[in-house]
Amino acid sequence: MIEVEGLHKLYGDFPAVQGLSFRVGAGEVLGLVGPNGAGKTTTIRSIAGIIIPSGGQIRIAGHDLAKDPVGAKTELAFIPDEPHLFEYLTVEEHLRFVGRLYGVTDISARIPGLLEEMDLGDKRGALPGELSRGMKQKLAIACGLLHEPKALLLDEPLTGLDPVGIRRMKSTIMRRAAGGTAVILSSHLLHLVEEICTRLLVLQHGRVVAFGTMAEIIASRPGLRTRSLEDVFLALTGQEEATDA
Amino acid sequence: MIRVFGYLAWRTAYNRTARQLRHLRSPRYVAALLFGIAYLWFMVVAQRPAPAAGELADTRWVELVGAIALLGAVAWGWIFGVERRVLTFTPAEVTFLFSGPVSRRGLIQFKLLRSQLFILFNAFLWTLILSRERFGVSPWLRVISIWVLLTTLSFHRLGASFVRTSLAEHGRLGLRHRVVSLVVLGGVLIAWTWSIAEALPHLADRSGDSPFAFLPALGEAGGQPLPAALTYPFRVMIRPLIANSVAAWANALWPALTLLVLHYIWVVRSDTAFEEAAAAVSLQKAQSLSGRAGRTNTSLAPARVTPPLLRLAPQGWPAGAILWKNLVAVTRTRRLRKAALALLGGGAIVAMLSFEPEGMLAEIAGWFAITWAAAMGVIGPQWVRNDLRSDLMKLDLLRSYPLRGWSVVIAEATASALLLTVIQLSLLLIAYLAFLGNDFMVPALRDRSLLLLAAFAFLPGVNLLGMLIQNGAALLYPAWVRLGSGRPGGVEALGQNLLMMVMFVALLLALMLLPVALGGGTFLLLRTALNYWAALPATVLTLATMAFEAALVVEWLGGVFERTDPATAGIGS
Repeated sequence: MIEVEGLHKLYGDFPAVQGLSFRVGAGEVLGLVGPNGAGKTTTIRSIAGIIIPSGGQIRIAGHDLAKDPVGAKTELAFIPDEPHLFEYLTVEEHLRFVGRLYGVTDISARIPGLLEEMDLGDKRGALPGELSRGMKQKLAIACGLLHEPKALLLDEPLTGLDPVGIRRMKSTIMRRAAGGTAVILSSHLLHLVEEICTRLLVLQHGRVVAFGTMAEIIASRPGLRTRSLEDVFLALTGQEEATDA
Repeated sequence: MIRVFGYLAWRTAYNRTARQLRHLRSPRYVAALLFGIAYLWFMVVAQRPAPAAGELADTRWVELVGAIALLGAVAWGWIFGVERRVLTFTPAEVTFLFSGPVSRRGLIQFKLLRSQLFILFNAFLWTLILSRERFGVSPWLRVISIWVLLTTLSFHRLGASFVRTSLAEHGRLGLRHRVVSLVVLGGVLIAWTWSIAEALPHLADRSGDSPFAFLPALGEAGGQPLPAALTYPFRVMIRPLIANSVAAWANALWPALTLLVLHYIWVVRSDTAFEEAAAAVSLQKAQSLSGRAGRTNTSLAPARVTPPLLRLAPQGWPAGAILWKNLVAVTRTRRLRKAALALLGGGAIVAMLSFEPEGMLAEIAGWFAITWAAAMGVIGPQWVRNDLRSDLMKLDLLRSYPLRGWSVVIAEATASALLLTVIQLSLLLIAYLAFLGNDFMVPALRDRSLLLLAAFAFLPGVNLLGMLIQNGAALLYPAWVRLGSGRPGGVEALGQNLLMMVMFVALLLALMLLPVALGGGTFLLLRTALNYWAALPATVLTLATMAFEAALVVEWLGGVFERTDPATAGIGS
């Protein structure tokens, strides 16, 4: 569903991502983890078609992102960590706006359920200025889910959500995955990653340091057996000594 | 504390400038810089004749016209609300300064200090623009004169903003706090009304003789004791600028500096209103910029959500959603709603007045509307910004949509072109109505009707080309073009805006050259055969050429949009 082959991204001479290759199939949830500056956001934004890669190929549901960007983007949804909303559109109008962009014909039928799922039912006439940070995040998520994308890209999706919102969000992600959506989730919250991701991709300095299920990663490093994901993460990214110090 | 503020202001300005200059590593920015320097040299310095030795302009008129312009700027601020940019704090400043051990007065001094960098830049710019005018003394003294003028004006607008904020936020309590300011304002208003009522019949008589008789008549009216007293502060601000010797300049500077100091005292003493106003404006800015803040300030947020004028159909051209979004945003700003109501009411009134036997008021309104419609052709594209200039801050989001670059560009530019066209056509319609009952006017009613029809035909295309230039500048130079919905405001920014405007007009004229030449040529060729009907194919050809040019520009800018990397361009998140 999401195929990344030899992804490179250079900022000037600085390599943000180097030779990244992976595949996320339908129903899979890939956790993208790594320390600050590892290249997670660059990777996810390249797949979303926001950043132009310096090299490599990205395919979304069979569409080459470089050759058929409109076809590829129609199949995906990108939900950034910071909700970008339009100041003068209400909650419902945001959904209608996105529906038109993605050619959603039964928009009126989809809106109530989505607003209910995101707990925004009583806010449909509110402008973003009247919403809390968490509600804005929920609206951004609702906009992303509206057209039922085949590929879902989430960059720190739980930022700003309350405990109830976090629980709802987790079940939303898992429900979409169960429905056949390929999900990439970038987060620093390791317990979230451990809970909902089927596979992990650990990045360090723009390179892959580990890729696979948790069991596969631990199996490839016997020294990490019996240790928590946090310890595994610190060991993989070479930060164990720094925290011990 | 002032040293800390100085450090913050200086380092911020330095780092911002350094960051903008770093973009010169891109050939596109180097080309723009070279073009800008050549443009400045050609437009400001090389093209104008140097003043002949001993030849000096009649400074009386400069003083009078300058004083009236300043009066207009001040009146505009009081009537329509003033520039709040000076009040705005960044979220970081709110965090560090509002919660820090800094007095309200200290905060005001910080804001005034920071605005000085901007004013100084514009003072130099104005000195350059006025470099070959035949009045005033050396350029360095002129910089000081312009700095005094702009700073006083900036302080005045800030003070006026405090008075308005205090009244708006606290009602009667605010009235009591601002009693001195309000008494002075009320006295000035009464005196002005009296003076205008006295002078109006005389001015109307004289302006009927010839258009050139109006200015001397205005000079005479301005020389009467009361108007002279009322315009005195404005004349004081202008006089250092037009002094013809160093001694005269020094003599003129002291009263201007005194006025500046009085304004400073007025502003600094308005500390309570300042903190309230600044906190409110900063909160609003922080919310719109980062979306991190919680509940919005109710006094500054859109009061209520009006239903959109147009309903967005679920199916159709996908980028039509962007066009719809931008138009909805415009209809939800209070300023536009007020303007629309004013235009509707004004149109109805002038149409009725035009049939009055002595329809002077309708005539004045008509000329006023025509002047504004023409002015909007030049300044409008800088004011109307419901396009990429507002949306480019959300480039990440735009880029994630399943749209081709060209469709984003055309949807964005069309939104602002449409709005500008509606404003201009409304003004022209008002002018048309104002002269409806006028049988003596040249051009006659039939020709005026044809001209109005021509405006309906050509203005959308001209404005689309104009907005493509503005959007193109934002796309090509996002690091140098101011992005966001607010327009560059204040008389302080007039120097910058003037230069941008002239450059914009030059580019628009260049784009219009081919369509006008083809259309004009067609008309001349076919006129003998078709008489005035030759205008029809000429119009079609002109519009087709404009559409062709627009298509080429849109295609090119669409490519630029698709290639723009938000991270390296310094925009988006």
